[in-house]
Amino acid sequence: MPVQSLQNTDVILPQHTPHPLLPFLQSQSQNTLTRLYQRPSSCLSIFRLLGPIERQLIMNLLWLESAIPAATMSAWVMPEGKQAYDEALAVMAGLHIAPNSTVKLALNPTFKSSLRQAITGGGNTGSFGTPADKDYKRQSANIENLDAYALERWETILHYMVSSGQGQNPAKPSQGVLYLLQRSGLMNTAHGAILQITSSGFQFLLHSPHDQLWNLLLQYLHMAEERQMDLVEVLSFLFMLSTMDLGREYSTEPLSETQKAMLEDLRDYGLVWQRKASSKRFSPTRLATTLTSSSPPLPSSHSTGGSRAADATGTVALSSGAAQQGFIVLETNYRIYAYTDNPLQTAVLNLFITMKYRFPNLVVGMLTRESVRKALSNGISAEQIISYLTTHAHPQMRKNNPLLPVTVQDQIRLWELERNRLKSAEGYLYKDFASQADYEYVLAYAKQLDVVLWESAIKRCFFGTLEGHSNVRGFIERRTGAA
Amino acid sequence: MEKASHLSVIVDLSPTQWHLSAQASNQYPLSIETFLSQLLAFLNAHIASKHENTLVVFGALPGKSVMLYSSTELLTDDMPPLDANSYLPFKLVDSTVVRKIMDELDAIGKLEEEPPCALVGAVTKALCYINRITHHSSTTTGVAEDPTTLHDPRILILSVSPDLSSSYIPIMNAIFSAQKLKVTIDVCKVYGPDTVFLQQAAHLTDGSYIYLERRDALLQNLIMSFLSPPFIRKILAVPKQDKIDFRAACFCHKNIVDVGFVCSVCLSIFCQPLPVCSTCRTKFPINTLKRLNAARPAITPANSRMGVPLANLNNAATPRSTSTPVPNGMSNLR
Amino acid sequence: MRAIKGVLLTCDSAVKQILLTMNEKDPFVIEDLDDYHLVIKADEEYRVRRELEAELEKNTYSLEAN
Repeated sequence: MPVQSLQNTDVILPQHTPHPLLPFLQSQSQNTLTRLYQRPSSCLSIFRLLGPIERQLIMNLLWLESAIPAATMSAWVMPEGKQAYDEALAVMAGLHIAPNSTVKLALNPTFKSSLRQAITGGGNTGSFGTPADKDYKRQSANIENLDAYALERWETILHYMVSSGQGQNPAKPSQGVLYLLQRSGLMNTAHGAILQITSSGFQFLLHSPHDQLWNLLLQYLHMAEERQMDLVEVLSFLFMLSTMDLGREYSTEPLSETQKAMLEDLRDYGLVWQRKASSKRFSPTRLATTLTSSSPPLPSSHSTGGSRAADATGTVALSSGAAQQGFIVLETNYRIYAYTDNPLQTAVLNLFITMKYRFPNLVVGMLTRESVRKALSNGISAEQIISYLTTHAHPQMRKNNPLLPVTVQDQIRLWELERNRLKSAEGYLYKDFASQADYEYVLAYAKQLDVVLWESAIKRCFFGTLEGHSNVRGFIERRTGAA
Repeated sequence: MEKASHLSVIVDLSPTQWHLSAQASNQYPLSIETFLSQLLAFLNAHIASKHENTLVVFGALPGKSVMLYSSTELLTDDMPPLDANSYLPFKLVDSTVVRKIMDELDAIGKLEEEPPCALVGAVTKALCYINRITHHSSTTTGVAEDPTTLHDPRILILSVSPDLSSSYIPIMNAIFSAQKLKVTIDVCKVYGPDTVFLQQAAHLTDGSYIYLERRDALLQNLIMSFLSPPFIRKILAVPKQDKIDFRAACFCHKNIVDVGFVCSVCLSIFCQPLPVCSTCRTKFPINTLKRLNAARPAITPANSRMGVPLANLNNAATPRSTSTPVPNGMSNLR
Repeated sequence: MRAIKGVLLTCDSAVKQILLTMNEKDPFVIEDLDDYHLVIKADEEYRVRRELEAELEKNTYSLEAN
């Protein structure tokens, strides 16, 4: 009887990088968080942003009426999972979801009742968005239009960024967006009054749309704090959007003043759609409804989208969307064939390849030393180029193992190394010590401060950093003074 | 990137068993209504965990199996109305599952005699479904790097009916397919005696089999033991059964047997020695048959007459004393 | 005892040789420490880097040029 199990036993836990929003939430006061937790939709969204172990622990605790001894829970932890378990508890404590305690474990009562309510439904918080009454006069925006709108908004922003350095004049995003880009350090006005993309801006362009979106929203949250907006309102509105159903219209009536003001900003970013600014109804776009998921927030960056399966949950659209993402073929001779007619994608590629030919649906270029060096000097790293090529590789490329030709990958890394043949550090050279003992004594002190960059006992000298100089000099003066 | 996880839930909806389960004479009576409300909370918890998680619910009804809910296709046309207080996907699951179950149960209400529940049918449908979605995503996008590739698909069987010995072969076949597809089968025995076959199913696919003792704590049990995908179970352990009943059912009379005789060619199991294997038509030597018959424990008087003590048979490697050693032609089960 | 302000350059020995040659034309090195380290005048760093870049560039050949 084949009793052996075919499950592989060496599954490693997938790398889970904490969501960028979590550190921001952790920096908030307990009071703010508890107010946020009063809304079931916020609890559900935050729950989704957490790592898999945190989620399981919360679920284990969710339906318990009273606190359980911490030992009872940790009895379930496998010895090799101890560290992950402790980290998960620390995250939960930092978010005030489960107060840190070595004796008892229980969920924050507000969080518990809201998450329970989210899962069972009911209550009257209205946190999942009040649907607008059916408008019989006008047809509401369908999913295709919403996607097109979100895509157009988002690409306007990115396209503006990518072409800012090249003296082109693409469509300008709204003033609010420009301010946000500047605030986030993705663009600045170093040379005259014209906004220029910065090196972090170049890196931003190569991120996935999901990361880009959260990057900007985080910046928005920081700005909201400065603009004296109520953070709880801002966050809960974002979370509400993330639990809304794509293709439906919601009413603006129950929104607070802060949230109504946010509508305008979010319209600019392409997260919500409104027929006109004064409209009493709005529809979230895919950018908004996928905030707490990892599915692509943009339907597909091809205008040749073809048939896009739309269903209630977006699962089918998700897999076909992912298939359409890949458009780049990279050959061992450094040639790149990009099957795209999208000006933004072309512009992004142009950051690190030399264009050769352009056809209606195809761009051919080449990774050259010059093109890669240009990218490197813009602050883009070799790893970023490689990861961009990997994530956008054409389905045909996915048959290769490894996905990208090794020679090309290595060469890109070598070009990066080549730029770093010379490392420099400012500081002071200490030499001409009176005696070996003197030298060793000062060196030992400098080493304690961890400011020594180079030393040679034979030459009886060492090089210390700029920061360490005042201390070292003080030390020597005290010594010679005492002697 | 953490991948989405797929869960297929198979609910045993035998009206008789659920009627018995709700009897007040049980220590913890559990009616199907209470069961469903807790099950729905569990299903929602699965969808809540990750936006991309997929869920399918199958019902095993007397004589047939039906799909009650699928997160990738709409089974009913009418969407529940939007409501500001609930998350739409949750509401969709709840209303679809409850309505489908009620429809199905109403439809079978009139039957005189209840045919056994088509549990195997439901398991097979679940496997087909998993095969379809995993296969689909691998043809369109290829390698596992695709974030939408399913991570560790699972089947959870909520069983209330006793073992149906006639379904041994199909169940074993389903288990082998599950192994091939790398599907974990979890079993929660909500009511009734332990079932041998489902224990084996869980054991062979690295799943967990739980006999629900505190039936008032159904939801907590479901969440603690069955919500976590396999990779989490390497960190937060889940209960596993400590002893497994490995008995099989014979192919000839579908009885669960302690001692069986196995065809050495096709591995079919019989409760008594046969001259010809009914599956592959292999003929066994008459001498072997004689010896085997002689070796059968106690039931045949031939044993003592021929004077062959059990211990004399040349099989020292028998793991259990109850099993009969079978040389040549047929070998014993274990 | 003396403390001299400067910039510590860490490089491979090939680059160091180029730097030493450049130094003969237009001195900027304060101290030649060992095979991989040099201390140079702090305000010369930008010029040195630019000249080194140009020097290294002479040693690369690209397909494009042919």
